[in-house]
Parts: sequence; C-alpha cells; structure tokens
Amino acid sequence: MLGLALRSLRRRVSAFTASLLAAFLGATIIMAFGSLLDTSVSGGATGAAAETLTTMAAVVGGWGLVLVVFAVTSTLTLSARQRAGELALLRSVGATPGQIRRMLVGEAAGLAVAGALAAVLPAWLAGRGIVGLLHDADMVPRSIGHTFGAFAAGTGFGITLVAAVVAALLAARRTGRERPADPYADAADAARLPWPRIAAAVLLLGAAVNCAVLTMTVMRDEGTMAMPIAAQAAILGSLSLALLSPALLRGATRLLERPLGAFGVAGELAVVSLRRRTRRLAAVMAPIILFTGVGVGTVHLQRTENAALATATDLPEADARTLETLNYVVIGMIVLFMAIMLVNTLLAATAHRRREFGQQRLAGATPGQVLGTVALEAAVLAAVGVVCGAAVSLLGIVPFAVARIGSPVPEGGPAAVVVVAVLAAALTLGTAYGAARRALASPAVDAVTP
Amino acid sequence: MTVRTAAGEALRLENVRKVHGTGDGKVDALAGVSVALPAGSFTAVMGPSGSGKSTLLQCAAGLDTPTGGRVFVDGAELAGRNEAALTRFRRSRIGFVFQQLNLLPTLDVLQNVTLPLKLAGRRVDTAHAVETLRRVGLGDRLHRMPAELSGGQRQRVAIARALVARPPVLFADEPTGALDTRSAREVLGLLRETVRAHGRTVVMVTHDPVAAAHADAVLFLADGRLVGRLAAPTAEAVAERMTHLGDDAEVQRARTGA
Ligand SMILES: Nc1ncnc2c1ncn2[C@@H]1O[C@H](COP(=O)(O)OP(=O)(O)OP(=O)(O)O)[C@@H](O)[C@H]1O
Ligand SMILES: [Mg+2]
Repeated sequence: MLGLALRSLRRRVSAFTASLLAAFLGATIIMAFGSLLDTSVSGGATGAAAETLTTMAAVVGGWGLVLVVFAVTSTLTLSARQRAGELALLRSVGATPGQIRRMLVGEAAGLAVAGALAAVLPAWLAGRGIVGLLHDADMVPRSIGHTFGAFAAGTGFGITLVAAVVAALLAARRTGRERPADPYADAADAARLPWPRIAAAVLLLGAAVNCAVLTMTVMRDEGTMAMPIAAQAAILGSLSLALLSPALLRGATRLLERPLGAFGVAGELAVVSLRRRTRRLAAVMAPIILFTGVGVGTVHLQRTENAALATATDLPEADARTLETLNYVVIGMIVLFMAIMLVNTLLAATAHRRREFGQQRLAGATPGQVLGTVALEAAVLAAVGVVCGAAVSLLGIVPFAVARIGSPVPEGGPAAVVVVAVLAAALTLGTAYGAARRALASPAVDAVTP
Repeated sequence: MTVRTAAGEALRLENVRKVHGTGDGKVDALAGVSVALPAGSFTAVMGPSGSGKSTLLQCAAGLDTPTGGRVFVDGAELAGRNEAALTRFRRSRIGFVFQQLNLLPTLDVLQNVTLPLKLAGRRVDTAHAVETLRRVGLGDRLHRMPAELSGGQRQRVAIARALVARPPVLFADEPTGALDTRSAREVLGLLRETVRAHGRTVVMVTHDPVAAAHADAVLFLADGRLVGRLAAPTAEAVAERMTHLGDDAEVQRARTGA
C-alpha cells in the first residue's frame, strides 16, 4: 500500500508540496518558539526574564500551533478531496476502507516527519534571532544564551505529526462516504457544513468576544498587558470565520451573482464554480481571512499602543521600539506563514483544475475566457476574504483602542487595511492567474484525459 | 486564408501524420492519411481499437496538431493559428462529440448544451436548445446535473451540445457507444437528418456495423492508415470487411514498404 501511496504522490506533486510546506513552516514556528522554553530552562532564567520567555513561548507558540494545525489540516483535506476520484477507484477495485486509511495516514505521517526534519535548522536560526532581539530589549540577560532542546524538538515533531495524522483520519472518513469512481460525482461538494465545524466556529467566536470584553473591562487599566488579549480576540475571530468560510462564500456568491453577471459568460462560469465548488474555493479563502484578520489587527493594535505610549511614557523609548520590532517580527512570521499558505493552497487547487479548464476549452472557451473566469473567481475570494478578515479584526482593535486611548476609533487610519487588502488581492489574483496559465499550457485534449 | 480545396468539400486531409510521445514510447497514431469528404455527406470511420480513429477526428477538428500534413475544414486550412483563433474557428464551423463526452460536471444539462453558444457570444436560442434536447429524448431532464444521469443520457447531452450550434461539420467519436439499440437508432436518425435536411457534414467513429450502415460511406482505418472505403454500406458488408482489416493493413504496409 505504501508503494502505491508513493506512486500516487508523484502524480500530484503540487498538492503534496502544499502539505509538505505547511508542515515545514508550521514546525519551524512551533520549534522556534518552543526553543524559548528550552532557553529559559537550560539558562536558569528567573523572574521577569523567565516570564518573558515562557509567555512568548506559550502565547505566540500557542498561536503558531493553532494556525499550523489549521494549515496542515486544510492542505491535507484539499489533497484528499482532489484524490476523491482516485480513492474511489481504488475502493471500486477492492481496496478496503482500512487500507485506504492506512495509505492516507502513512502518507501524512511521512510528510509531517519530513517537514519537521527540514524545519530544525531554520527554527534554530529563528529562535536565536528572537533571543537576540530579547537581549537587545534588555528583557533577557545576555548571560542566557539560546538553546534548542528537547521541548522544541518534541513539540515540533509531536504537534506536526499529530495534526497530520488526525487530518488524514478525518479525510479518510470523508472519502469513505463518496460514490465510487464517477467522473462527474466530484461536482457535488456544495454540501452543508458539518455540525462539529459549526460548533467549533461558534465556540471560537464566543472566545473572541470574551477576549474583546476582557480587554475593555478587566484589562482596561493594565496598559500594554491588554495587547495580547486584544490580539487573541482578532486571531480567534479570524479562525472562527475561516472555519465558516464555505458558508460565508455561499452567502457572498448570492449577493454577487448579479454584479458578476455583468461580465458575460466569464462571470456566469465564475458564479457556477463559486456555487458548485464552494468548499474547494473556501479552502483558498480561509487563509485570506486569517492573513487579513491577523495582519490588520496587529498593525492597528501596535499603532494604538504607540499612540498610548507617546502620551504616557512609562517605558524607555528604546525598549518600546524594540518591543514593537519584536511584535512585528512575531506577527510578521505568522502573516508570512498565512501568505505562503494562501499561495500554496491556491496553486494546488488550480493545478487540479486542468481537466475542468480542458473541458471548458473543448466546449469552445478560448484561453482568455478561461483566464477571465479564474480572475473573477479570485477577485471574489480576495474581496470577500479581506472584508471578513478586516471586519473581524475590529473585535480586537476597537476594544483595545477603548482601553488604551479611550476612543473606539483605532489609531493609524485606513492605510493598514488598504495595504493588506492590496497585498491579499495581488497574491490571490497573481497566483491564480499564473497557475491557470500553467494549467492551460498543455493541449485541451490532453488536459481532459485523466 | 487561401482556399485551395474544391468547392463543396467539407473536409480535406492531405497526408496527415501524427506521432504520439517521444523516444521508446513513440506511437505512429496516424501514418499519412489523405481523404476528402464532400459537404452534406455522412461518413463512418471504423477500425480496431488503437488504430487512430480518435486521433484522426481530433486532428481533423483542430483539437490536436498533426505532426505533418495539412487539414482543411470548410475550405479553410487549420495550420498556423493560435489556440484562441482555432477555438473561434471551431466554434463557428465544427461540432464535436467526444468519446469521453467532456460535459462540465458543474453545469446542468441545459447549461451544458448552451455553453458553446454563450462562449461564442452568440444569442442563446433556449427554445432551440430545449427542442434539440427533446429530440435526443432528454426533454424532461433539462435541469439535471451530469452526475445524476446514466451513461447513455450523458452521451445524448454531448450530442445535443454538438448539434445546437448548427455547425457545418460535425465529428462524433462513438456517439452511440453507451446507448441501447433504440436510443442508438434515434441518435443515428438525428445525425442522418442533420445531413439530409440541413446539408451538414457528419464524420462518425463507430465500432458497430449497424451504426456504420446508416452512413453514406465507411472509411476503414488500421495502424494509422486508411485501408479501405465502402460506399452505400450494409451492416453485413461492413462486418465482413472488418474481419479482414488486419490483412488489408498487412497488404498496405507491404505495398508502401513501411
Ligand atoms: N496522448 C497520447 N499519448 C501517447 N499515445 C497516444 C495518445 N493518444 C493516443 N495514443 C496512441 O495512439 C494510438 C491511436 O489512438 P486512438 O485513441 O486514436 O485510437 P482509437 O482508434 O480511437 O481507439 P479506440 O477505438 O480504442 O478509441 C494508440 O496506439 C494510442 O495508444
Ligand atoms: Mg477512440
């Protein structure tokens, strides 16, 4: 079965690369921040230094963890869905559900271990860089050097592996329910969201609102300390919407149906695929929501914090600046991670549409018409994702502004939203367009033969 | 575009060759095929599996680029156009029923059938599309998805899609392959009708001597070569000829010294 798995891997390199990259980047973040805990323990840190290291490892590492689980799960699910046909074919020639499960889990485990192994060196370097920044900010004494130890390695390998295996088990369960070997069956993916997913989203949103309320009440007089809580509100809210992305996209498609109709047949085809392939496209929208929510949220939190510090200086300016840098580095890593996930997911999803594009071309679509459709779809994904992300980031931004500067209007103006929106749109459109062009490179008759 | 073909000629192939793959996996799918079909004719193409029938149709329809030779459809040469130009040409002149059907799984039956018109920017005559679907026996399934249809029903959707744009030349790759005898007869009657009443040209690949007997003439293909032609075919004559195709190919190969 493993030989079969490897052979089938070779045939879908792009989806495989996406999952591997998610595992690799995820393990890098987890291990980099995990190594802060190793540093604290082996360096014998005490007092404020120990607290700083532990908090960063726990809070940022914790967020890294959540995002990583999300990314690994979503790429693996995408790849399993893309292979629904192949898996159904295997079942129809006699593979048992157990054999398929073992194949998917074996693949995912191999992928997780490979990703985590490759992540060791970059994680060590990143951890060193962060400890260096902490030295500069005088938050950790220089006598405590960076250590990469058992905790970093353990969490890095452990979490990546568990996330991958659980995702594979879920995917195997899902494909087990699909109709075997019908080339037309994969159109029906507009199914309702499963209830555990809705429940998780509601819980996350509740937690986000809770953090928002906490920021405005309990943390109101705690100054800088309110920031991580406000950031949590934005991240939790973004995650919740990311989970709900299929439902959001379905709703948005209903609203956009008419305006898209103005684009003629390309708009019509875009509406069809938004409606019929909602789940798959929503998998692309999820990282856009996270990217925007976390990005916009953090920038505004930091701007507000800067404004608050400017009026009441209880911190030396150099330290404030280093803290700001540190904050941007940490969030920058997460945002970069989401950007890569976005590109990654989109590349994998588009490469898989070669056959669909081929069918459109054979029905009489010029390459330009296919590209036009793809561009419209990408524009919708970017627009809806950015709007959702920016809206949910308000959950962190507004309460923090109320708590820190006594006004619900955050500092910094609309620049951050615009920059993040442009970035998200450029990434989405650019990637979709490039990937679609590649998918159009082979003759249509070859593209439709499996 | 120079028109070099005789008037009234719908399709002309001049020494068309097609090599699939490279190196060890190289296959001469077409080893030099020349043929001219008059407008308003109904031609069947027969031959063993792998003899190059699908390749021939795809090269003739501009879906595949021949390795050598020239192709003229409706008086115009296909060579030297980019994909967009070829697509526009196909949209106006050529209908194609694919062996793998190639329906869009995300579109319902009626949407699949009207898609080529929409892509061509032509006015969509829904009544005509519905009428065409009714004539292939799908009048009550306009809004079903391909996943909800049987193989034979899908095949009839593909046929309706090819017919609805009223192309002067229609290629059909085993259009009756998944149909029961009665539906097959109806589809063949429909093809016959488009030739007789509307003067269109139909080229159909089939494995079924009875289906081939509906055509004006049958072309026999073996190992990528044309090895025979039978006018006014009957099912018996076609079946008889098919059993000797292997020998014909041998003779032909010996003659051309290949
Ligand atoms: N894309 C391709 N790459 C390599 N070889 C190909 C390709 N397409 C077809 N061939 C080969 O070319 C030859 C002719 O194939 P073609 O599909 O034209 O046969 P056919 O007569 O339509 O057969 P069938 O009756 O089974 O449909 C076969 O030997 C086939 O293996
Ligand atoms: Mg064929």
